[in-house]
Amino acid sequence: MTLVLLDTNAYLRLAKRVRPMLGIKFGQKEYVLTILKITEDEVHKSSRLRYKFPWFDNPELAAERLAKQVRLKPDEKQLIDITQGIFRRHVVENAANYKTPPSPADCYILAFGQVRPAIVVTDDLSMHTLAKEFELDKSIWHGYEPLHKMLSGKQINKQLVVEVYEALENNGDLPKTWHDAKHTAFKKIFGSKPN
Amino acid sequence: MRKIINQNTLQQALKKQGWTQSKLAAEVGVSAQSVTNWMQGEGFPRPATLLKLATLLRLSFEQLVKTHDDDRPVVAFRKKANAKTTNNHINKAAEIGMLLKPLVPYLPEMRVLRTLITSPSIEYSKLQIAVSQTRARLGLGDQAVLRYEQLIGEFSDCGAILVPVLWGAKGKHENAMHIRLPAEDVTFIFVNLDTRIEDFKFWMAHELAHVFTPDLAGKTEGEDYADAFAGSLLFPRASAEAAYAKANRRHRDNEKINELLHYAHTHSISVNTVYQRVKEYAIDAQLPPLKINDRAIHKIRNSISGPLVSEALFDPMPPSAQQYIANAENIFRSTFFHAFKQMILDKGVEFGYLQQILDLSIADAQALHEELSH
Repeated sequence: MTLVLLDTNAYLRLAKRVRPMLGIKFGQKEYVLTILKITEDEVHKSSRLRYKFPWFDNPELAAERLAKQVRLKPDEKQLIDITQGIFRRHVVENAANYKTPPSPADCYILAFGQVRPAIVVTDDLSMHTLAKEFELDKSIWHGYEPLHKMLSGKQINKQLVVEVYEALENNGDLPKTWHDAKHTAFKKIFGSKPN
Repeated sequence: MRKIINQNTLQQALKKQGWTQSKLAAEVGVSAQSVTNWMQGEGFPRPATLLKLATLLRLSFEQLVKTHDDDRPVVAFRKKANAKTTNNHINKAAEIGMLLKPLVPYLPEMRVLRTLITSPSIEYSKLQIAVSQTRARLGLGDQAVLRYEQLIGEFSDCGAILVPVLWGAKGKHENAMHIRLPAEDVTFIFVNLDTRIEDFKFWMAHELAHVFTPDLAGKTEGEDYADAFAGSLLFPRASAEAAYAKANRRHRDNEKINELLHYAHTHSISVNTVYQRVKEYAIDAQLPPLKINDRAIHKIRNSISGPLVSEALFDPMPPSAQQYIANAENIFRSTFFHAFKQMILDKGVEFGYLQQILDLSIADAQALHEELSH
């Protein structure tokens, strides 16, 4: 089994339409999607996110998140703290490398991914820069990648991919990497890039 | 940033694990020579290697790495009453300091000639000389009322960048935060405008003292000096002498306090600031102390609540991003937002950067970023 950890934005871009999503094995490598409690806290603390994503507290989704939450042993917590500290320190010492320096919460997610281990899914390009600086390129995905793996693993169909893309485009929330992936990873659905 | 591996910590960790240097090298995936170099304070591991080292030996960055003093931001707070400063507050402020470093090249050229108080002392007569000279520089007589706006120019003249912020009147640990970057020789001073005018004036004067005494930044004696300087600058000896004379003529407690309150209102400062300065004056002049109960002063001080500086500046509240930035630039002569705008244009930095530096909500950071991106 390969754990795949979604950050808050990655979760919010998928969870409304891809159901059920967390805790289900898919693909040859038996990927299993999960999220952390900090996502729950982040949404509940932000009136902007609560307003923008009113479906977040839908009982079915809330129950799914609660049931699939990862519990950490004290030893893992200690290692995550150490790893997060190293990441964050690197970020603040090299702040000029990032358009948005990965926050302590971002560093926590990346640290979790290292310790558990899990592939971290994020559309935050600064997180990808940070992962690269620590030679962790293979442990981080863009938000469209789990969608692509789910499609390849036949957990979802092409129609759902189209729906997710349409929703993000209509909300003005389609990251550039997703846009580019339309004509690369999802070429069979959306076709080649128009000239 | 100049960094070396902390040799003592590394040695102790190896001993604890029962590992040799060669074993460590094999575990981390580096040459034995690399470990030898680290032990001699030479070379520094790549990020991925440092991470392996830290997790294998269960050492935090702070335990494993020694950094050069000049590269570390020096922080000080003016915290809210009853707020307790924890390591988290200090670390967070130091991180903000590190995040400010890339902004420094975008700041206008700083003045090299600056005002310094060379031998700061809280001894009454020496303090009064420092205060008197500062007032003279500002063109103020010894009994004249000082307005906070008159202090603003002093900050920029001393290489300090004022950053007015709206952190709310409650709930946050600090009301002002002082971050000095020694290597860059720049100081950022975050001042919360959601503060009563009397407190605001005191903090501005307190922060000015820090700017005049950079060698004391981050030290307890620096805080003591800044408090003493601020009180005396706002209410110097001549004013204290006059207030003492008037209050001393009164017989009842409440009449004496009313006299002090009159001075506090006139100077827009706290009655406690007046009272403390009068007490110090009496001791220095070898006069009998005013017979006033300290508790009565604190009770009155806590019962008075004037408008917030932000309410006086932005009516109605809250200000738009445009008003807020214009206020910072025109009233507080802050070069912070102009520099940040340059950084956005040059590097394409996003709102998350502002959010972390100014400790803002996402919505406020987005609004400011949008305004600066125009």
